[in-house]
Amino acid sequence: MSDLVPIAVAVPIFASVVALLAGLVRRKTGWHVAVAGSVVHVGIALELARRALFDETVRYVVGGFTSPYGIELVVDGLSATILVLVAVVSLGVLGYARVAGPRSNAFYAAYLLLTAGLTGLSVTGDLFNMYVFLEITGLAAYVLVATGEGGRSAVAALRYLFIGTVGASLFLLGLGYAYIATGTLNMVHLSELLAEVGHTTTLVQTAFAFIVVGLFIKVAIFPLHTWQPEAYASSPDSVSALISALVSTVSAYAFVRVVYTVFTADFLAANPLARDFLLVAAAVSIVAGSALAVAQSEVKRMLAYSSVAQFGLIVAAVSLVSETAMVGAVVHLVGHGLMKGGLFLAAGIVATATGARTVADYDGLADRMPVGAGAFGVLALAMVGVPPAVGFVGKWYIALGAVESEAWGLTVVIVASTLLTLAYFARLVERMFFREAPEVVADGADATAEGTVTPAAADGGDESPPTGRVTLGMYALVVTAAILSVALGAGVVGYEQLIESTVTSLLS
Amino acid sequence: MEPIVPPFVPVLLAALLLPFLGRRVGHALGVLATAAVVPYVWLVPEGAHIPAELFGFRVVLFNLDAFSQLMGLIFGFIGAVAVLYSYASEADNLQTAFALSYVGTSLGAVFGGDWLSLLFFWELMAVTSTLLVWHYGGRAIRAGYRYALLHGIGGTLLMGAIVWHYVAVGSFAFTGDGIVGGFPQVLAAIGIGVNVGFVGLHTWLPDTYPRPHIAASVFLCVYTTKTGVYGMYRAFPDGEIAIAYMGGAMAVFGATYALFQNDMRRLLSYHIQSQVGYMVAGVGIGTALGQAGAMAHVFNHILYKGLLFMTAGVVIYRTGQESLKKLGGLGREMPVTAAAFTVAALSIAGFPLFNGFVSKGIIISASHYTFEAGPLAVGDYHTLELLLLIGGVGTFLSFIKFGYYAFLHGEYDGSVEDANRGQTVGMVIVAALCVFYGIFDGALFAILPFDVTSDAVVSHVYVTYTVAHVVEGLTLAAIGLVGFVLIKKPLSRYGGAVPDIDAIYNPAAFYGTRSVVVGVTELYAAVDRLAVRLADGTGRAVRTVGSGTFDVAGRQVAVHVDIRNSVLVIVVALVVALAVVL
Repeated sequence: MSDLVPIAVAVPIFASVVALLAGLVRRKTGWHVAVAGSVVHVGIALELARRALFDETVRYVVGGFTSPYGIELVVDGLSATILVLVAVVSLGVLGYARVAGPRSNAFYAAYLLLTAGLTGLSVTGDLFNMYVFLEITGLAAYVLVATGEGGRSAVAALRYLFIGTVGASLFLLGLGYAYIATGTLNMVHLSELLAEVGHTTTLVQTAFAFIVVGLFIKVAIFPLHTWQPEAYASSPDSVSALISALVSTVSAYAFVRVVYTVFTADFLAANPLARDFLLVAAAVSIVAGSALAVAQSEVKRMLAYSSVAQFGLIVAAVSLVSETAMVGAVVHLVGHGLMKGGLFLAAGIVATATGARTVADYDGLADRMPVGAGAFGVLALAMVGVPPAVGFVGKWYIALGAVESEAWGLTVVIVASTLLTLAYFARLVERMFFREAPEVVADGADATAEGTVTPAAADGGDESPPTGRVTLGMYALVVTAAILSVALGAGVVGYEQLIESTVTSLLS
Repeated sequence: MEPIVPPFVPVLLAALLLPFLGRRVGHALGVLATAAVVPYVWLVPEGAHIPAELFGFRVVLFNLDAFSQLMGLIFGFIGAVAVLYSYASEADNLQTAFALSYVGTSLGAVFGGDWLSLLFFWELMAVTSTLLVWHYGGRAIRAGYRYALLHGIGGTLLMGAIVWHYVAVGSFAFTGDGIVGGFPQVLAAIGIGVNVGFVGLHTWLPDTYPRPHIAASVFLCVYTTKTGVYGMYRAFPDGEIAIAYMGGAMAVFGATYALFQNDMRRLLSYHIQSQVGYMVAGVGIGTALGQAGAMAHVFNHILYKGLLFMTAGVVIYRTGQESLKKLGGLGREMPVTAAAFTVAALSIAGFPLFNGFVSKGIIISASHYTFEAGPLAVGDYHTLELLLLIGGVGTFLSFIKFGYYAFLHGEYDGSVEDANRGQTVGMVIVAALCVFYGIFDGALFAILPFDVTSDAVVSHVYVTYTVAHVVEGLTLAAIGLVGFVLIKKPLSRYGGAVPDIDAIYNPAAFYGTRSVVVGVTELYAAVDRLAVRLADGTGRAVRTVGSGTFDVAGRQVAVHVDIRNSVLVIVVALVVALAVVL
């Protein structure tokens, strides 16, 4: 019964409409609708993943038109993994948003629409369909970023909108070139016809360049990341957790799909310069992203730049055309989504409880919020790649792939990236656990009182006031993310065997 | 006895439980867990191993051969004594828990039967020891940070060597041939060299070890460097001439710098480098005699160096003073501590009838009979042998200095209590063993990986107490004594302020990192400025042509600059991509 595939996309869309309509009848019902929708969505995702990983690839042709002409939805091991990540993280972040807000029904409608877009991106087997879902995802994400209070998030959302649209347009242009060359939009069919047209023809190469640059924007690879730090930093905590964990991750998945399913490894073999381009972009992104993360004073911006570097690693793995590195890329995609989402949530509860938003505010956090600081510390170390956390396993496979492919320069960059990651996280960990908390709390309260009177004090970098209540559920969520980030590392061995066939067929 | 679990398991379990138990019960558990390792590794037959799977690779978590057994025996024993000492020295449970996790990971490293598990525990060891240092707070934090950084780099180099080895050999297992030749060997030597304190890579030793809690220093002085020596043996089982000479250089360098120190624990830390130099020399020589000597010296060194840090710790514990300049005349006040110090000092200096004499003798004998003469041989003495002997004189000199200023020189104002009961028990046990192994050298030979008294195993049979050897020991002592009288005056003038290599590379590292960060930020700013200027130029050009788009966008204040140059960057990227691909 492969009907489940379109249902996986339809459920969040349907729930989104319900949430919007329910809002007309009764306010503040959005959350409940969203949870119901997400629970169903998780169930479907798990069932699909079970089939894809243990049985065989699930295929569904929309509307009964046969494959090269109709739109095909495909769930293989790789997309099943991403699908589960999307479903689980969306549900988890909902748990956080219940108290932390935003609370309006419109917000949840957009939230579910984003989930739908991401789901569609993960399962589609059609390049134009991918563009459509890319736009749905993008639009929903712009809306979500704009739900933050004040002008900052509006400006960030606008910038995200402009740049994201340019990215999507470039993708569309590239897609157009591919269509002109082949006359088809189905991914598998495209890959066959592109090979017939010839991988070294100008048309095909142009299509590749446009699509890659378009997706680089969505993935936020340096220097095309300019929308990303502000968007993450200015949006509400629940939104930054959701989009940091999922949007770039799924875009990176789309990138993997396009490079390996549409253009195939043969294209990279025929165009060594294209491969080098990916490799150099990845290396630059790793180094520059890390260095910029070190330079940040705001925690959420630092986490955002960290993503720029981490996605550099993923692109690096893709450029290697090695099975080991590919496994590493998938593990790191999932692991990074989980850890980064967890880190943003942890930063969220820290800010909610203590008002600390800058690196300097984190002094002595372990005394003020032992659980929050502990979870943040574990997640940070997992991100650095301390064994046995999942962050280590992903990087390990990628590094191993680099060594196997004898890409020594890249190996050096990957190993150095661990040190750079350590550089910005060790700074925080040291502040949280080994420094005294700032003097008296009363001072902070005074500064707050002044801050509310004179807006000029707001940009002075002083601690903003605690903004709300941290519930047990929020703690539980962050701690769960921290535990998962360590525990998943152990599960990778079994998982590797499950996706082995998918990765092999992807690279062949 | 059959192997049940790898030896690190009970120790790590004790470390996990410790924070939740009372001080007395917790420390008792710690002593039990570490002490249990001694009979356990003694009774498990050689060749036992426990295979497991780590990151999808087959590894061996418990591999017992003569080398790892000796390491396990002494690690377990000194761990138990150090936990007892921690208890007596008012260390809190959390610190001892960190210390036990450090002990446990070290045990994991020496019992790992393949490169991957060795590396895994090696890295964890760096983390746990850093936590142990950081736990003390204050000045220990910055030193701990430098320690972590240097060990991070060392560990990464070793990882590079091991990955390379894996690619070349296709397996992580110990083959008995060490790391594959060529570049990986260089990486491994430097990576492990950080842990054993190669000259130039050693500054973390005197920097870190004097700063944490006195009981933490006892743990620290044992595990990291000795695991390093063990790792060096695994990487270079056939020896390496350059490493042997590096060992000789370490012996002289460490002893020389120790002589200038006034901070007690700093002086002892330089002596770790000097003594580890002997072991590295033994491993570098690579013959059965050299390796047996290195392992014997590991064993003895752990005993007397642990004891030295314990006595120095007691002095600090009772007087609150770290510097020899502010001490003196403690011999009458603290007779037990003074006696323990004397035993330890004579052991480390290699005085006959003490254990250092036995093991140092093996290495020197190996350097004479089984190693090349080298470029600077004087008469019958080989180059490496000379270096090791000079290091011995330096050791005598600095321990005469230590003993003289702490216990003999002058009078101490006021009265000081001697070591408390727990500290005394710990020190006396270890001191007794130092003497025991010095007199009954056969007991030491029995646990060595190679039988140094059988000419079937070693090319030159070693006999501890020959006239020549005893005379050599006494001569070194005499030179030390006379030398100290001669240099006492000038030494007290220059003490302490001699710059080491870290005077260069601490600032170098600081300004280096800073310039990288500033450089990247500035570069980005420059690119940003350039892009803005380009964008402005393009905007103006487009306006003059008459297209209205930019005018319309131009009214959106503050926002448009960012978006505009972001889009420009995108276009540039696209052009680059097209240019590259086409």
